Amino acid sequence: MIEARGITKTFGGRGGLLGTQPVAALRGVDFVLPSGGAVSFIGESGCGKTTLGRILCGMEQVDSGQLLVGGTDLARLPQRERAALLRRVQMVHQDPYSALNPTRTVRQVLEDPLALRARQLRRGRDWVESRAVELLGLVGLDPAYCLSLYPHTLSGGMRQRLVIARALTVDPDVLVADEAIAMIDVSLRLGILALLRQLRSELGVSVLFITHDVAAARYVGADGQLYVLYRGQVVEHGPVDAVISSPMHPYTQCLLSAIPVLRGLEEPAAEQLMPIAGLDAGHEPPGCLFADRCPNAEDDCALSRPTLRDAKEPGHRHACLHPRPRQVVAVPLAPDARPSGPP
Amino acid sequence: MAVTVIEPGLGATGTRRPRPPGHWQAARRALLREPRRVVGAAIVVIFVVLAVVGPFLYPRHLAANANSIYAPPSLVHPLGTDFEGTDVLSLMVTGARYVLVSGAVAGAIAVVLGALVGLLAGYLAGAVDWSLSRITDFALTIPQYPLLVVLAAVVRFTSPVLIGVLLGVTSWPGLARAVRSQAFSLRERPYIEASRSLGLSTRHVIVREMLPNIAPYVAMNLLVSMIGAIYAETGLFFLGILPTSNVNNWGAMLNQAVFSAGAIGSPQAISYLLSPLVAILLLTLGIVFVLDAVDEFFNPRLRG
Amino acid sequence: MRTNSASLSSPTATTAQSVTVPGEVPGAEIRGLKVVFQTPAGPMPAVNDVDLDLPLGTITGLVGESGSGKSTLALAMMNAVPKPGHIAAGSIRLPSVTDMTRLQGKALRLARGTALGYVFQASQNSLNPLKRIGAQLLDLGRAHGMEDKGALLRHARELCERMGLDPVRTLSAYQHELSGGMRQRVGIVFALILNPSVLVLDEPTTALDMISQRTVLDIIRYVQRERHLATLIITHDIAIVADLADYLVVMYGGRVVEKGPTRHVLQRAAHPYTEGLIAAIPRISGDIDRAQPLPGRPPDLLSIPRQGCVFRERCAFAIDQCSVQTPGLMPVRVTRRHDALEEDSALLDGQVAACHVRAPAPSAKVST
Repeated sequence: MIEARGITKTFGGRGGLLGTQPVAALRGVDFVLPSGGAVSFIGESGCGKTTLGRILCGMEQVDSGQLLVGGTDLARLPQRERAALLRRVQMVHQDPYSALNPTRTVRQVLEDPLALRARQLRRGRDWVESRAVELLGLVGLDPAYCLSLYPHTLSGGMRQRLVIARALTVDPDVLVADEAIAMIDVSLRLGILALLRQLRSELGVSVLFITHDVAAARYVGADGQLYVLYRGQVVEHGPVDAVISSPMHPYTQCLLSAIPVLRGLEEPAAEQLMPIAGLDAGHEPPGCLFADRCPNAEDDCALSRPTLRDAKEPGHRHACLHPRPRQVVAVPLAPDARPSGPP
Repeated sequence: MAVTVIEPGLGATGTRRPRPPGHWQAARRALLREPRRVVGAAIVVIFVVLAVVGPFLYPRHLAANANSIYAPPSLVHPLGTDFEGTDVLSLMVTGARYVLVSGAVAGAIAVVLGALVGLLAGYLAGAVDWSLSRITDFALTIPQYPLLVVLAAVVRFTSPVLIGVLLGVTSWPGLARAVRSQAFSLRERPYIEASRSLGLSTRHVIVREMLPNIAPYVAMNLLVSMIGAIYAETGLFFLGILPTSNVNNWGAMLNQAVFSAGAIGSPQAISYLLSPLVAILLLTLGIVFVLDAVDEFFNPRLRG
Repeated sequence: MRTNSASLSSPTATTAQSVTVPGEVPGAEIRGLKVVFQTPAGPMPAVNDVDLDLPLGTITGLVGESGSGKSTLALAMMNAVPKPGHIAAGSIRLPSVTDMTRLQGKALRLARGTALGYVFQASQNSLNPLKRIGAQLLDLGRAHGMEDKGALLRHARELCERMGLDPVRTLSAYQHELSGGMRQRVGIVFALILNPSVLVLDEPTTALDMISQRTVLDIIRYVQRERHLATLIITHDIAIVADLADYLVVMYGGRVVEKGPTRHVLQRAAHPYTEGLIAAIPRISGDIDRAQPLPGRPPDLLSIPRQGCVFRERCAFAIDQCSVQTPGLMPVRVTRRHDALEEDSALLDGQVAACHVRAPAPSAKVST
């Protein structure tokens, strides 16, 4: 559905009186998001995940590289057709509070884009109304309850469902979920993830899941690919469980090591990796971008920048000169070690 | 596997179906929340009624009476008389229209122009922003009062609409700048970005999505610039910059009271001098009292 | 076979991992705390009848969603409940303060910071953007009557070093020059600079990415051990404290619904809410489809049930009694499925839950 070939994006560096250092947000990212499939991007804040999502939704332009949506290269299209094509990619924002206009009711939020859609499909006003009700039901909201409400009276979880319903008004092929559960109450998070899963299986919507919560990515797209971004570069990617269970790149290993262990339910992994320094985005090394923080860096790491190469399993690739697989994530304890309370 | 969790609208107290109030109801609620808002609204309504019906209550040319110049308040003349012996109350009532019409026209023009230019510049950015901003900058440099002084030599300001228009077209740039910066921050909001990526038209985004968000601010500015225009207009007449002959308004009354007849030195004329002053103060006070009700009315979060 | 557990007030040694003996030295003792907010619909309790012990040398994780009252509880510990709320009942004893709720004015201001260190939820944003970090620390010291600037700065430098921050750079920096994780650590430096023995952290890792979160959590653990603090971590995410806390306290709708040693609560959550919360965590390994969403949504201040169990509307096990009678915290009775682990009866220590079904009062009939 979406194919990215070597897309790059650099911010700043415009010069002027107070010239700023250019910051590379994306350095030649390739990935393929199949129809109905899922691709997850993980990484620290500032790794370029959000920029990637914004580019896919047409809110930013790439500096170089190709972005193909449904097989068509966006750059070759005239502005109008590009906008129409990009409409098939919709964003689910991180913050459901700022993603909804406080002055528009739930009905207006859905019916405005639906009215446009109705004109395309040559449908009438009653189609708009019934479709709004249908979409609310699809995302698990009670239409009778919320149609005439303003967003501020809804809970975070309900708002996020509404944001998803709004994205569905244009019958998109792709949903880009950028930290879509980070600001939702924990007891409601899984509900949102389950909804994304359901949209994948029932509507065939592809999901690009941007997160720092690896387990959430695993829940939405266990059958998909996991991409690890570091300072705009894909340092490792592969099938979700392959990357989680035998990460090759030390950065991936650091990310996975940082996941808290549910003591009592999970057994911590024997090995843990932590970066030896903080992120210094201003420094642009000639060699591996991670070398200055890498606990396993060797002398040659600072000299040449590694590109993606194949790991043992098919489809699992990493960009490390001295890879060593490590098992760093916790494993569940046997279920029988968990006695239950009275029935 | 479909996992649909219906989030019911169940509060602890059972089914709650909060309905947002309609516009009239919301306006009523916003007004009634505090007594001073009611007082403010009452003052404004009284003045508006005066402005509408006032001139019909009195003859077109108010009678002068040389026998009762500067009469103190009495039953016949509740607010006394002026230097010609004309009833001050009748002058007040008939003068209200000029003041209110010029204020309303000036406020409306300033707000419509300012909001429109600001929204377009802020939302469309780029070249449109550049050109509109240069126009705004140019308009900002037009000196309002000197321009009016010069114009007064050529144009006769007998029509309140005319002076309203002049005050309006010279006072929008400030609001345009403020709205532009608000629109700039609004266009980066995720919900505006979402509207754009859903394919909604520029007109829709500006009118339906952005305008309601700055509506409280614009409405406040409407009232504030009305106050400003009323002060400017009465001030111009008071100072004699605009000719006071043949017009009947509070500013002209003040001018004549102070400069033409020396009422400031004669204690009997105190009510003649005070009446327009108090009227202007009352009107301003009324508008100020209504301001936060307007804010609440336009802000769904405050509406609750 | 059923085993009765002891209550939290008579603790014995816990697992081998936890070296501290809880309860020996009380750090903070909260008793019968009730915080009420005045709303247009009348007074609403945001925190209701909460008892909490924070023993020195332990970390307690307070878990709750929005509207659970967890942040209000934390602010109440500083006697800083924002209007229109106020502490309606209860007492808060700290090592150097008999009752925080009775302090006022200067005494209260001095107690904040010296008796209890507080790391704000948006600690990243609670620093003055126009002043250097060091200057703000000196201001804090001055406000608490510390004359010895040199000693204060030495202490600050030492704390910065412990947090993995470059002391010179950090103290001379403005807040915008620091990353989110660094600001959070600076927040902890501020909370500890006056040597309190109780440390409260409100959502210390919100808005941090995985690695910064891990660093901050490691620092909390380290500082707590080194200074023998009574630490309270308030979070909405049970996973964050699961690895760190000795005790878990679960709040819902302003009430404590379950508390006990972390491992036990995680392994055999008794309260249906705790159970549902844990079941709703997607796991990093194992069968991902085991995760089950928790239906319904948390109540807000206005919709918290005034009578009966606060969770009953989302509860799959609710019985008639739940809507009538508010359940108290009762020892959790647990069926042992296997007796391979000898310390199983000890494991039950100190876990209590407020549930008519899962932890019935002794007098009530126990269903089989």
